[in-house]
Amino acid sequence: MTGRIKIDGQSIPFADGQTVMEAATDAGVSIPHLCYHPDYEANGSCKMCTCKVDGRQVSSCTTPAVHGQVVESNTEDLNSARRALAQMLFVEGNHHCPSCEHSGNCVLQSAAYKLGMTALTFPNFSVGRETDASHPDLLINRDRCIYCELCVRASRDTDGKEVFCISGRAENKSLAVNSDSGLLRDSGISADDAAADVCPVGCIIKKHEGFIKPIGKRAFDRRSVHYNKIAKDSVPGLDKGPDEKVTVATCSLAGCFGCHMSFLDIDERIVELVEHVQFDRSPINDIKECSPEIDIGLIEGGVCNTENIETLREFRKSCKIIVAVGACAIGGGVPALRNNIDVRELLEESYVNGVGVENPQIPTDRELPHILERVSPIHEVVKVDLFLPGCPPPADAFWHILNDIIAGRQPDLPYDLMQFD
Amino acid sequence: MAKANESRARQQLSDYRRDPSMVLQMLRNLQLEQNCITDTDIAVLAEGLNTPKTKVQSLIDFYSFLHHTPRGRYDIYFSDSITDHMLGSRKSAQLLCDLLGVELGIPRADGTVTVAMTSCTGLCERGPAVLVNGTAIDRVDEARAREIADLVESGIPVDEWPLEWFFISDALRKKGPLLDHPLTPGAAIERTLEIGAARVIDELRTSQLRGCGGAGFPTHQKWDICRSTNGDQRFVICNADEGEPGTFKDRALLHGYTDTLIEGMTVCGLTIGATKGFIYLRHEYEFLRQQIDHRLERRRETNLLGKNILGHHGIHFDIDIYMGAGSYVCGEESALIESLEGKRGIPRIRPPFPVTHGYRGRPTVVNNVETLCYAAGIIEHGPDYVSHPGDEPCWKILSISGDCRDPGIYEIPLGTTIDEICKMCGAENTRAIQVGGPGGILITPDEFNRKLSFDDCNSSGSFIIFDESRNMVDVAVNFTHFFAHESCGFCTPCRVGTKLLVQLGDKIADGHGARMDIAQMERLHRLMTQASHCGLGQRAAVPLLTNYEKCPPCFVERMDDVEYKPAFDVEAAIERSRQIVKEEGRPQ
Repeated sequence: MTGRIKIDGQSIPFADGQTVMEAATDAGVSIPHLCYHPDYEANGSCKMCTCKVDGRQVSSCTTPAVHGQVVESNTEDLNSARRALAQMLFVEGNHHCPSCEHSGNCVLQSAAYKLGMTALTFPNFSVGRETDASHPDLLINRDRCIYCELCVRASRDTDGKEVFCISGRAENKSLAVNSDSGLLRDSGISADDAAADVCPVGCIIKKHEGFIKPIGKRAFDRRSVHYNKIAKDSVPGLDKGPDEKVTVATCSLAGCFGCHMSFLDIDERIVELVEHVQFDRSPINDIKECSPEIDIGLIEGGVCNTENIETLREFRKSCKIIVAVGACAIGGGVPALRNNIDVRELLEESYVNGVGVENPQIPTDRELPHILERVSPIHEVVKVDLFLPGCPPPADAFWHILNDIIAGRQPDLPYDLMQFD
Repeated sequence: MAKANESRARQQLSDYRRDPSMVLQMLRNLQLEQNCITDTDIAVLAEGLNTPKTKVQSLIDFYSFLHHTPRGRYDIYFSDSITDHMLGSRKSAQLLCDLLGVELGIPRADGTVTVAMTSCTGLCERGPAVLVNGTAIDRVDEARAREIADLVESGIPVDEWPLEWFFISDALRKKGPLLDHPLTPGAAIERTLEIGAARVIDELRTSQLRGCGGAGFPTHQKWDICRSTNGDQRFVICNADEGEPGTFKDRALLHGYTDTLIEGMTVCGLTIGATKGFIYLRHEYEFLRQQIDHRLERRRETNLLGKNILGHHGIHFDIDIYMGAGSYVCGEESALIESLEGKRGIPRIRPPFPVTHGYRGRPTVVNNVETLCYAAGIIEHGPDYVSHPGDEPCWKILSISGDCRDPGIYEIPLGTTIDEICKMCGAENTRAIQVGGPGGILITPDEFNRKLSFDDCNSSGSFIIFDESRNMVDVAVNFTHFFAHESCGFCTPCRVGTKLLVQLGDKIADGHGARMDIAQMERLHRLMTQASHCGLGQRAAVPLLTNYEKCPPCFVERMDDVEYKPAFDVEAAIERSRQIVKEEGRPQ
């Protein structure tokens, strides 16, 4: 059957046997997707392409186009569901963009940018799945697998090798390799195979060629958005008089102060900023304690010990708006890479077995804070009002967000200031 | 040793004539024979079936009762259903673990025994229930747990354990047309052959029989579509994968009304033009298998099954039993068919529906045990068989369990009020009733005038009663864990969402819940309803949300009136650091 369907009010044609997704793609209408790929049979598992077709929510990649269908795709309701799905995939695996070779070329990351996903919202699972680095040219980092099954389909249908298979169920689901040892080395896959190239995230990656393209030139760094910006969660208003300055406090928990450095990169604009802003506790002015009533608290870094928790709680108590700044505050970031290592092993590595350690011993001074079993994003410890992604967020992003809040607007990051790495 | 293993797997290959769709049966047999599926087994099966080893492995990892690492020689599972909890299963399981010196789920070092938990085993009215090496034992209270520990330690084989433990009688409390009148074997088949398919479907239409597995699809319509869809072959599948916690009515039918069921399947086969039927029997009902096999054999001997049925030339229909291996999702008809084809039980993309593209892509009727039994009765006695004076013309068999005087099986006319049902089974001081299993609906006393019916309180057969001593947070958390455990993991919203719901439920149950957690539950519910691939994900947030809405005091008791609480317990998170510092000599 051929005919026409309507997507978000636009009438498009479809050919015999096409799905809604295929018809939309041919007509240049973008429906967000992860597990769909035009070369392979649809899988329908990621649910990112969920649309409302004649009032019913369905996966558009598996729904046949029928003449007269009315499809809703670019609606706030559906985009908010898609944003939640992206968040789910981010917390389910370890998607730390700053330390991922695929960052900038990652379809999940790009989808999250387009959907305006700044926060994870859900608690991180911090999984510790097996990595397979046995193959000379390829590597599997299973912590980043999103179970789209594209590699399974590519290996089976294009390469004719059936190297990959999805095993298990629920949270024990895993990407398995078909070889005697279970290792990629013994599987017969080669770097030229379709399956080696098809992974939309940083799970199956090629060795020797990480970070080949500089930041700014990668596939999704600057690509324009195909659909509308999405309304965000609202940030509380500050209710300031016209001449009243907005007070800002900042701190770094388990972070590298890189976000602070980036903030200072607003350069001479800081002169303009201090006309509207009074800095409270911050490493910038070396004030060590929060005043009781602060407007904005900018927090860099994740939560790794009891001191971080105390600081964070002090900020929450004092600040009207808490902003999680940067990859570590939002998702745990690089410090969270330790999350699957036992605390004793960590301490011994640092204080006993580490290179150049003298008088090796685990410090036990009572003044020292206890370290937590896992590094957590700050939203798992206090309520967070706003998230400013990046590693670090660009100076312009700080500038943009602060100006929005000072002017009483709801903060909204444009696509080119949205980056996770 | 390796040789011996190899010969076992080879035996399975030859027993099933290397049919790839039988791989799950082979794996299950190997598991039951030797408590584990070895690397050698996997290699032999993969080679024999010409399939990658990972495919074989992926089945073992998918189905709960298949294991790649050795279990104990006594492999004991406690049913983790809420109904078993209410009867003390947690205590019994802990006691048995203590007596045997094992941890839940981990085999004892000497390889003697494993004690683990599993989803509802369908002995809800007589819990706490356990499965030992695939066989069901009921009423495992602390005394019986002690006896089991002694038997295990003395090395007594399970088939020498006290016989009365294994006898599963069915508490048939209230009988209607089906339970009260066992049918005459062959009568419905004879009538089918006499009146022909069109009239069979007509009579089903007149009777208004609808699917009893929960969805309520009109039976006549399903049979009619299947019959009129082109195909070189058609199939009848009896869905006996009764996994909905709190449901055991199919168990009673399979046990006491085996002939009626087989008759119903045969009638269906003759009507739609199928020559082959399957009973997909859940792993937990292994104890019923021999009896069903025996009845099938008897019917073949009496020419009610097999070739040229009742002497009618060219009229063939036969039935095989296919065993499940532990997966709730396989109760969904398309997942069941996947499993029947020897694959992981993941619901298919629908449409097309099984009735046009089912088993091996052929038109297939999948009906619940109860539906097929009623169909047999209707065809033997005519559509009036199921009529009664109420507003709705059909009957429903309920499995009633939980806090009531007379738990058991009740055959009740549709249209009966919840209040009347409570009186029948002697439920008092009731706080709430879960109708239709964890994904069903929760009814509180102010709604007891509601009626059991497809349009009001629809039930797949599960009817669990909670009295005022029960905290509904615990109930919701049990259901939420069940969904997370049974999620097939295919789609994102269900795979991740069920786990997030477990975290939220546990957080509230442990006293760390806040208002934002309720908002998060609502958000997840919206998303999972919108985007999940099948009913499991679509309904998984329902227990937490409805229990919160309908029994707020149970939640308020466990929560502080604050907007936000941390996602994890800080004290617990620094315990490891404290312990290390203590070991390293820091004065506390």
